[in-house]
Amino acid sequence: MANHNIPEVKADWEATTGIWGMSIDMDMCTGCQACVAACAMENNIPFVEEKDAGYGRSLHWIRIEHTWQGEYPDVNATSFEPIMCQQCGNAPCEPVCPVFASVHSQSEELNLQVYNRCVGTRYCANNCPYVTRVFNMRDYDRPDPLSNQFNPDVTVRRRGIMEKCTFCIQRIHKGEDLAKSEGRDIRDGEVVPACAQACPADAIVFGRIDDPASKISVMAKNGRGFKLLDSLGTLPRITYLKEEKTYGRTG
Amino acid sequence: MTEKISRRDFLKIAGTGAAITTILTGCGPASRYTTREPYIKMPEYNYNGQSTYYATTCRECAAGCGLVVRTMQGRALKAEGNKYNPVNLGKTCARGQSTLHGLYNPDRIQNPGKHSPGDKSFSNLDWNAAINQVADALKGNPDGIAFLMGLAPDHLFDLVADLCKSLGAPEPVRYSALGLFEARATLGEAARSVFGKPDLLFFDLANADVAFSFGANFLETWLSPVAYTRGFAKMRQGTNRRGYLVHFEARMSQTAMKADEWIPTAPGTEGMVAAALGKLIAENKAGTAPAAFSNIEYARVTALSGVSFETLKRLADIFGSAKSPLAIPPGAALGLDNGLETAQAVLMLNTVVDNLGKPGGVFLTPASPLGNDYQRGATAKEMTALVEKMNAGKIKTLFIHGVNPVFELPHSLGFENALKNVSTVISFSSFPDETAVAAHYVFPDHSGLESFGYQRVPTGSGQSMLSGAQPVVAPYYNTRATADVLLAAGVQAGGKAALSFKDEVEYIQSKLTALVDAKDGFFSAADMPTFWAQFQQYGGWWQNSASLGTPTAAGALDRALKASPAQFEGDGEFILLPYVSPILAEAGANKPWLQETPDPTTTVMWNSWLEINPKTAEELGLVNDEVVKVTSPFGELEVTVLTYPAIRPDVVAIPFGQGHTAYGRYAENRGVNPANLFGKTFNGAGDLTFAGVKVKISKTGKTNPLSRLEGYTRLAQSEPKQ
Repeated sequence: MANHNIPEVKADWEATTGIWGMSIDMDMCTGCQACVAACAMENNIPFVEEKDAGYGRSLHWIRIEHTWQGEYPDVNATSFEPIMCQQCGNAPCEPVCPVFASVHSQSEELNLQVYNRCVGTRYCANNCPYVTRVFNMRDYDRPDPLSNQFNPDVTVRRRGIMEKCTFCIQRIHKGEDLAKSEGRDIRDGEVVPACAQACPADAIVFGRIDDPASKISVMAKNGRGFKLLDSLGTLPRITYLKEEKTYGRTG
Repeated sequence: MTEKISRRDFLKIAGTGAAITTILTGCGPASRYTTREPYIKMPEYNYNGQSTYYATTCRECAAGCGLVVRTMQGRALKAEGNKYNPVNLGKTCARGQSTLHGLYNPDRIQNPGKHSPGDKSFSNLDWNAAINQVADALKGNPDGIAFLMGLAPDHLFDLVADLCKSLGAPEPVRYSALGLFEARATLGEAARSVFGKPDLLFFDLANADVAFSFGANFLETWLSPVAYTRGFAKMRQGTNRRGYLVHFEARMSQTAMKADEWIPTAPGTEGMVAAALGKLIAENKAGTAPAAFSNIEYARVTALSGVSFETLKRLADIFGSAKSPLAIPPGAALGLDNGLETAQAVLMLNTVVDNLGKPGGVFLTPASPLGNDYQRGATAKEMTALVEKMNAGKIKTLFIHGVNPVFELPHSLGFENALKNVSTVISFSSFPDETAVAAHYVFPDHSGLESFGYQRVPTGSGQSMLSGAQPVVAPYYNTRATADVLLAAGVQAGGKAALSFKDEVEYIQSKLTALVDAKDGFFSAADMPTFWAQFQQYGGWWQNSASLGTPTAAGALDRALKASPAQFEGDGEFILLPYVSPILAEAGANKPWLQETPDPTTTVMWNSWLEINPKTAEELGLVNDEVVKVTSPFGELEVTVLTYPAIRPDVVAIPFGQGHTAYGRYAENRGVNPANLFGKTFNGAGDLTFAGVKVKISKTGKTNPLSRLEGYTRLAQSEPKQ
């Protein structure tokens, strides 16, 4: 057997198979929302229509933020910043869940949301400093035949359930299964979440942060890299590379 | 029961019993939870639990991006980019991602039908009756037939062009609102006058180190947004020096937000600014400026544009000393009476820095592999000719496919009224859009993902290529390919209308014959069946290497360029800057997820808005979410105010994409269509001067809270107080 650490049997999955992470280059991100649409299409995310969207009940797992600085004519928009669950290594959402719906997976080092445990206390969302958790306020209707499009790899959620970005865990598992069946390690770039696959600017890169040779590990060492709200000690798994706005960098 | 039941009777009864059970199960509560699909009913090439992937072409715009659609058990699950297609190399935009919300839209037209124009319901016809109807029209006087087509798909346009040629009918006309808002004819005409060839040009953003954009929203909808976004990312963090982007526009668009500098230029002075930069650079280089810039006075340019001379000088130094500078012509600024001069000035700026045909510069697009040139959409002026013909009663039957002119053409051109003077209007729309509602018959085509076809690539790829389309799922409704309907009707009509093709696929294959053993293709085959299989597998055909042309601008700088600011119609105090919604574009409003995708700049969902400078709004006493009446000399509308920090105080902006009166539940009665405010004058290339209107703004006293991702304004303002 090749030297790979994907376990043979399910019971062994308590061991870490790899730490997944992401890096997002904000110098390249154009704010085009392709990732937002791709995420919704992959993960069976319902639309909530105008009124509920206005109340902040839309179910985007990923959103693109920017703010304004200054006044016209010296006005400046901050960089587009795609924000999704940061898959914290030390996640504030986890200890507050009374029913262990928000738990840490040892195997993929991800923050899981177990839908069939969730009772909708929303404590986790209140405790998330990145505001990336969304709550199903209603059963949102997807009239026929829109439901034909449901991705069979992803659970369809109902009213009263908290949900959030999963790093497309269904794709990670597919990649692991394939690698395992071929008796090898997962190759860098083999597993791509929906947002990164769609991104026309290739600003989103996904991979293993425990592999020093992976593309994201190399990107994370870039001098432009930073983590969101790093001072909170949440150990986020996403590295952002800041926009430069300078003329004449070489290299 | 005393009678003996024979074996045969027993089977009969048992059979009936089984049927009854089935029906009951079908009606009972169980059917709400499970649907059983026997293995024998599986569509071909499908295995339980396994996905099948099909390569096809995205039809959300005409750029020709390749898609690979994941299907399972005959259902389309997810659209991804086709990594082989040279336009998008595996990437997609938000519209491409949401294309399945078009395929599975609950408001699609399910059967061929007829109705009296204006009625939203149809009475169903069968396809034989539909084909009879089309055949009758084809039998009539060929001068009384007109075809109005969209920019996609190209194979159908070619078929219709062949049919019209055979019949002796007028050539089909193509139109798209994107063509209007990008003033593509103006760009093509400027390329003709400066480079000697009408072309949409290829701007090599990827290899530029300084790019000056004069208002083109190339990261949103302009020409080929995915290709330009890829180029932009490479310019920023590729292997070369980090590229520097400067954007000149009155409003900070999504593209301008990504620029390192945004220069709020007065609308209509973009060309003068470009010419002034060209003059400064030429003077720096050679001491004197070419004749082209002889009309440019710096003092006048700075006074009219609002760009200071110091800024101009600084930017000219950056542009003039860059290794690979690139100037990209505008979007909205071309839709002004001086639009043609503006486009010429930007192309001349490229000529001055001599980037023609060099890496990071301007190129001519490769020739289409089918021999015929890319057919651009009609200008508004050419559409007016069609409208006049309709009004004069010269058109008996109008066929409309792939375009929604009642919505996409400005009201002032009078298309909707002209439709009433056409005795038979036949729409092939898949959706009950405004034009289908105004038509007499609707013979729905398959949706793009259920269709065969091919698409030429006007710009966005260095290779000469054809993006191929094939059905990814079986047609969901009782629709029929328009090509097949026309071919069948042609045979029925007989005579010149009968083309010698069995069906759509045979027609497409006849067009591909020349490519089968082409030497420069990335695949070739010995025979058509093998070629066809590969064409479908890879999602098209393209050359192995780029074949971009080098423009020549001999003598172009010797003619003096006119330098005058644009004129605006109306006596309002604000210049209206319409722009295409980066998310909805021209036809995305019926896709619920696109409606719920926040606008990149304002984060508004599900509605329209009027952008106004916060200072100006304060002076007028306007606040966010207040509804105002916007009046131009040509129309008026009511829209919600949204203060926008990055817009000139003398300009207001409204996105195009909403304001449908039909087009399904997600699009109807939502927002406004700014095209209703446009006038009816044309620039030197025949494009509408859609950005040349001044509007008045007055209060209405109403409020309509916008749903925005940023800030819960609706919660604060409209939640009933306890």
